[in-house]
Amino acid sequence: MNALRADAAVALQIARKDALSELRGRQIAGSTLFFATLVLLLFGFALGPDARRLADAAPGLLWLAIVFGSLLTVARLHQLEAEDGALEELARYPVERHAIYIGKLLAGLAAVLVLGGVLLPVVAILYGIDLAAAWPALVATLLLGSIGLAAVGTFYAGVTVRMQAREVMLPLLMLPVVAPLLLATVRATSSALAGNRLGDLAAWLQLLLVFDVVMVVAGAATYGQLLEE
Amino acid sequence: MPQTTIYAAPRTREQTPPPAVATQELARLFGRSAALAGVSLQVERGATIALLGPNGAGKTTLLRILATSLRPSFGTALVGGVDVAQRPDLIRRRVAYLSHATGLYDDLTAVENLRFAAAMRDLPDARQAVDRSLAAVGLTVDATRRVRGFSAGMRHRLALGRLLLGTPSLVLLDEPHATLDADGMALVDRLIGEWKAAGVSVLVASHQAERVTRLADGWARLDGGLLVDCGGTGVTATARAPQGLPVAVART
Repeated sequence: MNALRADAAVALQIARKDALSELRGRQIAGSTLFFATLVLLLFGFALGPDARRLADAAPGLLWLAIVFGSLLTVARLHQLEAEDGALEELARYPVERHAIYIGKLLAGLAAVLVLGGVLLPVVAILYGIDLAAAWPALVATLLLGSIGLAAVGTFYAGVTVRMQAREVMLPLLMLPVVAPLLLATVRATSSALAGNRLGDLAAWLQLLLVFDVVMVVAGAATYGQLLEE
Repeated sequence: MPQTTIYAAPRTREQTPPPAVATQELARLFGRSAALAGVSLQVERGATIALLGPNGAGKTTLLRILATSLRPSFGTALVGGVDVAQRPDLIRRRVAYLSHATGLYDDLTAVENLRFAAAMRDLPDARQAVDRSLAAVGLTVDATRRVRGFSAGMRHRLALGRLLLGTPSLVLLDEPHATLDADGMALVDRLIGEWKAAGVSVLVASHQAERVTRLADGWARLDGGLLVDCGGTGVTATARAPQGLPVAVART
């Protein structure tokens, strides 16, 4: 129990440090939000003015924008550590490796949740959809989807942080792994917006939950290997 | 320079507590090139040892292995009798390492950087320890400034301050005088003296041979990843080559 408490304290310290760095430096939030909004806007232009078509495409485009934005976010959070040997210093602290992973994951999760929280109303405005009735299910989908993205993203950002071509390698490694998550989040969002007419919302949310548990456990178990050369 | 010690058999566990550092045929490869090519040395507890040698000699690689930042490719490295590859978690509690890179967070203030380090080490009375460290490295007045605005020398001082948190039994310093002005260099010398007086073992890698050998009990010279020479007190070459010669010497 004490060990668990100590790990939680370490993870929270790391997440707090990342959040403080980002709030002060504002190196991720502005550019990521602008990029993701631009993606939604461009898709909107590409699909044309047909309101029905836009509403049908909205869940997929929302989650594509969140996935693209999360790529930038998790990469930047690890880039903070790579500057001036901070990642090596972090790895030398006498703390459990999984606590470091969870700390980085929490920081990534907060960033992805903010991104999703901003993009949801943007999608509602751009694509003319009504979120009011569906918000509890949308919040659940956003939370579960963001955990999965942060879990996978944190792990692969750790894999690529020392690579020369990390900007290219991160999406190449991460996107295939998050394909099931993308499918489940899009279906869950569609189902939520349609008032769960097909009754499949719970199944998609369960799939997301399983994905999250598997990815968080796998990431926590293996992240330590990435910290040592 | 003091007379070179060529070979000393490792002491048995019954006679004395384990040495501060003991490496045996320690090697580290990066791709096909060997940064360390089989270094066997022993550093006594409480000794201050200067690691000398030109660029690319293997000094930083040796220190990084002892600090658990690098895994050895071959051989063993023990810190206080504990294998760095087997129990890095224990080593991290015992070792403090000042590397070339400061490992600081630019958007945090000096005091926030040290408080984060103190929290990672789960220090009791962390706040006082941080204040003491900042005072010791002369950064109290800059405590609430963001590190992004610090000069290279100030960053180096702050990294030194981070070493002062906690109570390591082994301190590893990689070019500790680099980027510092005369006052900063004197500060490093004073800190080494204080560690020495407190019985903490210190390994100092430096190009400033004269300066660090003056502070040290003994010295070891690396070149091309090999231990080519060592002397003074507190450090011995311990290779078990077929002819009883240190492997490093046999290879040169």
